[in-house]
Amino acid sequence: MRLTHGLIILLLGLLPGFAGTALGSPTLEEKVIEHQFANGLKLLVVERHDTPIVSAYITMGVGSVHETSETRGVAHLLEHMLFKGTETFGTTNYQKERPILEAIEKAGSSLDALRLQKDADPARVAALKKELADLQEEHKQYVVKDVFSTIYSENGGVGFNAFTSKDQTTYLISLPSNKLELWALLESDRMKHPVLREFYTERDVIREERRRSYDTNPGRQLYESLVLNAYNVHPYRNPIIGWHSDIANLSPQKTRGFLHKYYAPVNTVIALVGDVKAADAIALVERYFGDIPPGTPAPNVAAIEPEQTGEKRVIDIFDAEPRLAIAWHKPTMPNKDDYVFDLIDQILGSGRTSRLYRALVEEQQLATSVSVYGAPGSRYPNLFVIDAIPRYPHTTAELESAIYAELDKLSNELVGDAELTKVRNRLLTDQLRQLDSNAGLAGLLTSYQSLAGDWRYLVTYKQEIEKLTAEDIKQVAGEYFKAANRTVVVLKREDAS
Amino acid sequence: MMRLSRQTHIALLAGMAALLILAGCAAPLPKSPDELHYPVLDFHVPDVETLVLANGIRLYLKENKELPLVQMTAMIGSGAMTTPKEKTGFDGLFGSTWRSGGAGERSPDELNAYLDQLAADLSTSLGPYTAEVDLSLRSEDLAKGIAVLGDLLRRPTFAAERLDLARSQAQEYLRRQNDNPGAISSRLLMAALYPNHYLGYSPSEESLAAVTRQDLVDFHRTYFAPNNLWIAVSGDFERAALLRILEENFGDWARRAVPEQTLPTLLHPQSGSVQVAAKNLPQTSILIGDQGLTKDNPDQYAVRVMNYILGGGGFNSRMMREIRSDRGLAYSAYSYFQIGRRLPGPFVAGTETKNASVGPAINLTRQIMQELRDRPVTEEELQLAKESLVNSFVFGFENTHSVVSQQMSQAFYGYPADYLAKYRQRIAAVTAADVQRVAREFIDLGRQQIVLVGNPQEFRGELDGLGLPVVDVDLDKPR
Repeated sequence: MRLTHGLIILLLGLLPGFAGTALGSPTLEEKVIEHQFANGLKLLVVERHDTPIVSAYITMGVGSVHETSETRGVAHLLEHMLFKGTETFGTTNYQKERPILEAIEKAGSSLDALRLQKDADPARVAALKKELADLQEEHKQYVVKDVFSTIYSENGGVGFNAFTSKDQTTYLISLPSNKLELWALLESDRMKHPVLREFYTERDVIREERRRSYDTNPGRQLYESLVLNAYNVHPYRNPIIGWHSDIANLSPQKTRGFLHKYYAPVNTVIALVGDVKAADAIALVERYFGDIPPGTPAPNVAAIEPEQTGEKRVIDIFDAEPRLAIAWHKPTMPNKDDYVFDLIDQILGSGRTSRLYRALVEEQQLATSVSVYGAPGSRYPNLFVIDAIPRYPHTTAELESAIYAELDKLSNELVGDAELTKVRNRLLTDQLRQLDSNAGLAGLLTSYQSLAGDWRYLVTYKQEIEKLTAEDIKQVAGEYFKAANRTVVVLKREDAS
Repeated sequence: MMRLSRQTHIALLAGMAALLILAGCAAPLPKSPDELHYPVLDFHVPDVETLVLANGIRLYLKENKELPLVQMTAMIGSGAMTTPKEKTGFDGLFGSTWRSGGAGERSPDELNAYLDQLAADLSTSLGPYTAEVDLSLRSEDLAKGIAVLGDLLRRPTFAAERLDLARSQAQEYLRRQNDNPGAISSRLLMAALYPNHYLGYSPSEESLAAVTRQDLVDFHRTYFAPNNLWIAVSGDFERAALLRILEENFGDWARRAVPEQTLPTLLHPQSGSVQVAAKNLPQTSILIGDQGLTKDNPDQYAVRVMNYILGGGGFNSRMMREIRSDRGLAYSAYSYFQIGRRLPGPFVAGTETKNASVGPAINLTRQIMQELRDRPVTEEELQLAKESLVNSFVFGFENTHSVVSQQMSQAFYGYPADYLAKYRQRIAAVTAADVQRVAREFIDLGRQQIVLVGNPQEFRGELDGLGLPVVDVDLDKPR
């Protein structure tokens, strides 16, 4: 499978060329040093000494799929809150700060509860709001603002960030390599003693993030709607960021609950790629993270999406020119069909000679762009997605028919050898390109370790792909590209035809 | 075994020393970064080989055998800045048709098929000052790739039907230019900052229609010459073989005179204004801008530090801290100075907030700006900004190709030879007084252009207090 759109990852290790053309260069499989600590934490190290820098990725195998209807959005909110510091970092005096934090939580929770009451007394709401604002003001004297960011930056760190997906949550930073111990000190303390300060302000930040990333963005809105409608049961349907009412009702208590239940070494993978010695890295991680209790493994999602029993069609109204997106249910890795979809993805949508680009953009000129990708996660059965932007005066309906015509060809005719060779070549070479940056490689390693249970998925990938035939492609296309298995969303203005 | 440079060996030794110290003690963990001792980071700006071929082609080379790939950037030292207003969009159409229109003996389809079969990435663009080709390919395909590069630079076809396709795509893009609020605000801001200038123009149906194939051919014929060509190559290649292949493909290309381009005169907007574009959305995109500076301005180091403190330093900046972190008014809040190569680039501060808090967000941003003019920054802020800029400098050198292409473009634009070598020193020399001085020079609240795209019903009344003329922009009108 492809991890995210535009990030093609395949087949690292078996490529003899991975580590260079020099004779005897190690393959990726040889270059990745793996260490399992007693508490369940997994460390992957790749040494690259060209530039004195290192990229550090920490991935928790926990994401929005672990939320319930009461906690939608909490995985992402928690990710934000973990930038607020610890009992040591981010406070002038934690002992004095703590009672105020407790009072803020009490006032905030009462206010949230009151807001949900039908006939809440406006005077009481106003009084609680004032109480909360006063406490937040009082709290300021103990806060050292955005302390991790400050410390990392003054030490030359770049790309200090995190992202939450359906299946996992990743915290990342790149540092000059002489500062690796600083990373270990800060990140281990962040795992051990986080403090969820400035909670209610951050909730507001996330609502602005939702407005910015979804509510005002037609492409993202279309995607959100597609995923939501494609699934009836599986939590993949829920937006990672949550709906406005979800975010507005998340509490410190729910957030702490999620933290304590899932953030634990047994669910954690770390990758360090760059100018480090593997032995040093292992000793360093042991020293700083080794004493954290293992915790319990995040459970698998019990919900199984029932087979779709008919085409779903949705119209999304938005003040923008029309757009189209179509999704089909499919299995995820390591199912053989998932590998076949990687080839289909390339055949249909990668590059100027891909079938959809040639047919829709160049020949029929119905579209200005077409993209093909897998979504919205990779741990559970997911979706094969095609989205396209029509070119006026052509309609989304014309575009849709033209897409189906190409899919029919794939179901009815065998792909030729030259085309198969071309897409395999492309997968192989793009993958090399992705290995170029330390951060890119670190991200691939923690993701596959977390999602596939073994980063060597990357190593065996090429063999799996080479086993596949034109017959497999035809069979898979015929099986999955059926009307009853698809969800079609059109975004357009209310008055548009 | 990977090749290790001399300085990396030293860094490795330093790393081992650190391990010995670690292994030797079972002492309690440090509680604060102050207790940590870091090995010295030995880093020097990497060397890039430069040479000039007999016909004037300038080469920038750096080998890196880590991956079996080669990356090349070829740059023609003339750009689209002189395009007349009535042909706005020429740059995009040229860049697109140059790539898609075929080259040498290959038709458009044949060229695409050939490159895709090699899994090569090829892209072309025409910018204000230069025309560029970027090519990435497997090292075994180097000769094939350079032959394609030779065709593109010397024998591009600009097939008419591909120009038509590029034009119809650009027209569709025009139809969609009001779909995203961020795109609208950027376009309006650039038009306001660069009145009657290439840097402020955006294409119209008419200007796209006015560009002819002959315009493309003429631009190529006028400016593409070996003595106006710069090539950067990085990755897994053998120097001698590379030079031989370049000679085969470019050696018989004769020098000739290339006309100097006269940059269109830049006017400064007379006074500040607020533009409001109504779009029924729950959040407003806010941009505040002015013309900034060029790379020839010795104050650029002080400006970098000042901008870091204003809105360039992420969570360490005042905008992010006050707008987002303290008040929860926005997810993103930032500022940047795009330091212009020859003409001043834009200075932009931006954020997005729900319509009801647009007034407070603008006022806060302007207050932060005024504060930078009125008072020297604190010693802590100054140190943090400088340390961050100095210590992260090494990350500019992770990617070998960006090292070579950066040195090539610095030579082309006439950066001082010691620009990179002295960069850290110059940042470190910036004082709080310098920061205040450049804040007073570059931040002028009365001159700034403000653009707001969102639902004005909730904030229109609060704009009067800004003391700037407010103009309503009808998005449906000019297409």
